[in-house]
Amino acid sequence: MASFTPADLSALVDADHGLLSPRIFQDQAIYQQELERVFTRCWLFLAHESQLKNPGDFFATYMAEDPVLVVRQKDGSINAFLNQCRHRGMRLCRADSGNARAFTCSYHGWAYDMGGNLVEVPFEKEAYGQVDKARWSPRRVPRVEVYKGLVFGCWDADVPPVAEYLGDMAWYVDLFLDRMPGGTEAVGGVHKWVIRCNWKFAAEQFCSDMYHAPFSHASPVLASLPPDIDPGQAGWPMKGKQFSSEMGHGTGFFMDTPEFLFPLLGETAAGYYMQSGATAVTERLGEVRGVRMNGAHMTVFPTLSFLPGINTLRVWHPRGPDEIEIWAWTLVDKAAPAEVKEAYRKAVLRTFSPGGILEQDDGENWTEIQKVLRGHVARQQPFNAQMGLGMDRSDDPDLPGRIGYVYGELAARGMYRRWAQVMGAQSWAELAPRGLGEVASHG
Amino acid sequence: MDEAFLPARVAPELQQQIEQFLYAEAALLDAREFDTWLTLLADDLHYFMPTRRTTLRRERDLEYSAADEVALFDEDKPSMVVRVRRLNTGLAWAEEPPSRTRHLVTNVRITDQGNGQYSVNSYFALHRSRLERDVDLFYGERIDRLRRVDTPFGFVIAKRTIHLDQATVLAPNLSMFF
Repeated sequence: MASFTPADLSALVDADHGLLSPRIFQDQAIYQQELERVFTRCWLFLAHESQLKNPGDFFATYMAEDPVLVVRQKDGSINAFLNQCRHRGMRLCRADSGNARAFTCSYHGWAYDMGGNLVEVPFEKEAYGQVDKARWSPRRVPRVEVYKGLVFGCWDADVPPVAEYLGDMAWYVDLFLDRMPGGTEAVGGVHKWVIRCNWKFAAEQFCSDMYHAPFSHASPVLASLPPDIDPGQAGWPMKGKQFSSEMGHGTGFFMDTPEFLFPLLGETAAGYYMQSGATAVTERLGEVRGVRMNGAHMTVFPTLSFLPGINTLRVWHPRGPDEIEIWAWTLVDKAAPAEVKEAYRKAVLRTFSPGGILEQDDGENWTEIQKVLRGHVARQQPFNAQMGLGMDRSDDPDLPGRIGYVYGELAARGMYRRWAQVMGAQSWAELAPRGLGEVASHG
Repeated sequence: MDEAFLPARVAPELQQQIEQFLYAEAALLDAREFDTWLTLLADDLHYFMPTRRTTLRRERDLEYSAADEVALFDEDKPSMVVRVRRLNTGLAWAEEPPSRTRHLVTNVRITDQGNGQYSVNSYFALHRSRLERDVDLFYGERIDRLRRVDTPFGFVIAKRTIHLDQATVLAPNLSMFF
């Protein structure tokens, strides 16, 4: 049972004043309530559709700490079910991915078809007489939806459709998923690694924090410059915006800084993103998303994050209040030329992956915050998320929704406000994407 | 039987030269002499660490990520130079303050490929101690192609494939060299 009431939660998260209790990143009881309230209620990313090309193709992933199997069916649809045998709870499938006709539990041999239906029980007649197979099939993920190539699942049957859940964030997500006809495809393979920090540090940074980039990521930019360029001129862009959604999603990006991605991605990938591919994108999505925005970070609440342009997609699987497993994909426009896809494959692993020269430094911040929070005294003072407080507006000529400055914490406040709502609510009836006007009225 | 598993038949002198080269390389890395270490990498270097998947035996060909899939490292000489330049900025926070590393190299098996080129398999253990009490341990195998050159080190690394024995990397980053 949930132990933190809405009143408790608003004492922990005062989004209107940009004050966050460090306890939300460290407390085991809060974490258990997150597993119950956030991660069974929100849409979670399961896989990219292109990972499941043929019937029987499966991908073993997680919804928070719960292992699930995502399987392409004979009729082309995608099913997801708990990766747990209903007999005695054994993990059904211990491979990461592959192709299967059935999943047979290695403990006592109960076998399930690829739709997740119990089809065979060894010695059934002799040992049981009969087993009610429909009743003893693995727990099905009741809602699975494919949104522009991304497979989402949700344990809550009452969740609104993904498009509605995204709300005005969908316009921004298109910057990543819908640039070209055919959308995106995933480069094969997944980067998986472990960082000892709370999941919200990572989710919030991708939601809201461009501010860390010029300092945390100073070194890769300096190192990537041609040796004859004065490092003093390697300033970070100052023009850009941030967007915060009432559903807890957020994004920030630079604007009108066409040179920004080149040192990080190289000529082939950045040239495609900003120039050769941009004409088609402009025709499809308009000039703002076609050529003016770049370098975006974004989070779809709670744990799905992207860097459009750099083209990494990742999920922050929580592993207790103080650990995450990062699973990261590289996406490319399906319609992109082969050499661009190859350039992106390399550019992403060299920048955002366990060994990526930008990504390495993020973990250092999150793990050291987490270690400091072991201290009783360190948990008593609120964190400051006040940047840009009261400076946002909802009438930007180019951009939908609530907009602030690129270096700001508007989207962080939006994420934590939503987090507190989801943590405190009894059901989706209290969380529908309408009727939040009052709580959304402060930056 | 795959001949690669037969005991190596190379002259003891060559075995000793190559082992000493690998030890010298490890010493440079552990002493953080990265600029000198770069001189051991050939200009046409390919430095590659695929990801590992847990697969069933019948799908074991899928265990290592393929050339067109994601990898943990897929580097050339210029990208390794950028990595070292980054460490030298003093702003690469995952290595500032620097880690304490120990590269152990064993099980060196050599095949002479002629023309001064050698295929060298070795096992490694990489211990990283960091900050107050962080420890990461990496085990795996390296498959190197070494080329004999006329320098004090005697060889350069033309190709290095690193098989890390973890499917999920149990570390916050791979900020060190293997």
